[in-house]
Amino acid sequence: MDGPALVSILRQGDTLVASVHTALDDSQMLRFQRDLVEQIGAQRARGVIIDVAALDVLDSFATSTLCDIAEMARLRGARTVVVGIQPAVAFTMVRLGMATPQFEVALDLDDGLEMLSADSASPAPGRRG
Amino acid sequence: MTEAGATDSPEAVPGFDPEALLPVLRRVIGARVASRPDAEDLVQEALARMLKASDRIDPQTAEAYAITTARNLIATRWRDEMRFRERRHQLVEVDHAPTPEDSAVDAEDGRLMAEALSRFSDEDRALLLAHEVDGVPNAELADRIGSTAGAVGARLHRLRMRMRVEYLLIAEGIDPPTTRCRSVLYALASNDRRRRRESDVEGHLLECDTCYALSTRLQPHETTDDGTVRLAIERDADLVQARQAARELAAHLGFAKVELTVIATAVSEMARNVLKFAGSGTITLSALEQGRRGFRVVVADRGPGIPDLEAAVRDGYSTYRGLGLGLGGARRLMDEFDVVSRPGRGTIVTMTKWLEGNP
Repeated sequence: MDGPALVSILRQGDTLVASVHTALDDSQMLRFQRDLVEQIGAQRARGVIIDVAALDVLDSFATSTLCDIAEMARLRGARTVVVGIQPAVAFTMVRLGMATPQFEVALDLDDGLEMLSADSASPAPGRRG
Repeated sequence: MTEAGATDSPEAVPGFDPEALLPVLRRVIGARVASRPDAEDLVQEALARMLKASDRIDPQTAEAYAITTARNLIATRWRDEMRFRERRHQLVEVDHAPTPEDSAVDAEDGRLMAEALSRFSDEDRALLLAHEVDGVPNAELADRIGSTAGAVGARLHRLRMRMRVEYLLIAEGIDPPTTRCRSVLYALASNDRRRRRESDVEGHLLECDTCYALSTRLQPHETTDDGTVRLAIERDADLVQARQAARELAAHLGFAKVELTVIATAVSEMARNVLKFAGSGTITLSALEQGRRGFRVVVADRGPGIPDLEAAVRDGYSTYRGLGLGLGGARRLMDEFDVVSRPGRGTIVTMTKWLEGNP
């Protein structure tokens, strides 16, 4: 991507931590999705954390993209937790009428990491069947 | 090129009788200018101008010409006084002489104002001038015409809106193509929701290219000083820009943080609709001041329109990949939400959020 990174994807153990630093337009969102799903395979990640604390808007497209990422990650053998949804964003998502999104959530990065590590002994939900 | 000796020769005998025009001029000017000496000055000046242009005046239309000339003079005077009033507070710090460009612009502006004023009925114009120029209070005007102060206020309000429309039409050199155009443009300028509906403003805009082009310039009626922002929606990046602009303007108006996110999200949904279905469009953001403060978003496109509007606003409906919350979702986020769409002509979404605690 040109200029300062809009998104960073860092590896921490067998977890990928993807942080969105600034508002993304739709095509940037889709590129993020593609990069992340590629990285899951390349890094053999078992868990993915997407930090959206910097986002002031999660509209229907952004939400559905996050859902897709979680589903694609699941098919690649990783579990996704979205962290850092701001209070105003949460309020708006509910008002907008979003059905309970198909991804797991945690309050912040620490909680997300804890959630994944607590579960790391047992197989990720997607691998069971 | 020949010298135009004949055209402004003072010896040219006018084809009309100046004496016969005096009563007309006195009546027209006297009805509008309260001070008698001022009125007589204007009468003489109007006559002088007519004599100067006498070779261009058809005797048949001399009287009409006289009336127009008188009106223009009054309008110019009105405008000068308004300008003086507006700038009086600056008089102590006048630090630059007007440039030739300034005066050219002012003269042009004055001509436009005069022409706009000439399109009003005598009574309407007299009312406007009395209020705007002479500063006559509404109650006194009400006494004069046997009405109430409230009714006069409302009428003046409408007249000012009409003035904006006429001024714009003249400035743009536009002759509205249909008989409906004017009432639609007036309703648009008045920004009264009920009136907009009654005139089916959006429906007309989608059918009339002329009014569509003018509409964005008339939207921000009585906006606050925070002004209006108009953005083109053509690329993905414009979507992010639109919602950031909406957030900034709304923050400036005093909306709380949660509401800023709500507004930005609604803008995002509507801007995306434009990109997905129409390819391009415009978004107009404006501050409203109608007893209470509000924030209005108008999203307009010239796309294919929405075939089944009812279904589109219903939840879960979507013709593209997404959660299908676009219209229905945005409607839930905003306080007022109107969609007008015409197949093959386009869609206009108008949504408003009112600032709470600001009755």
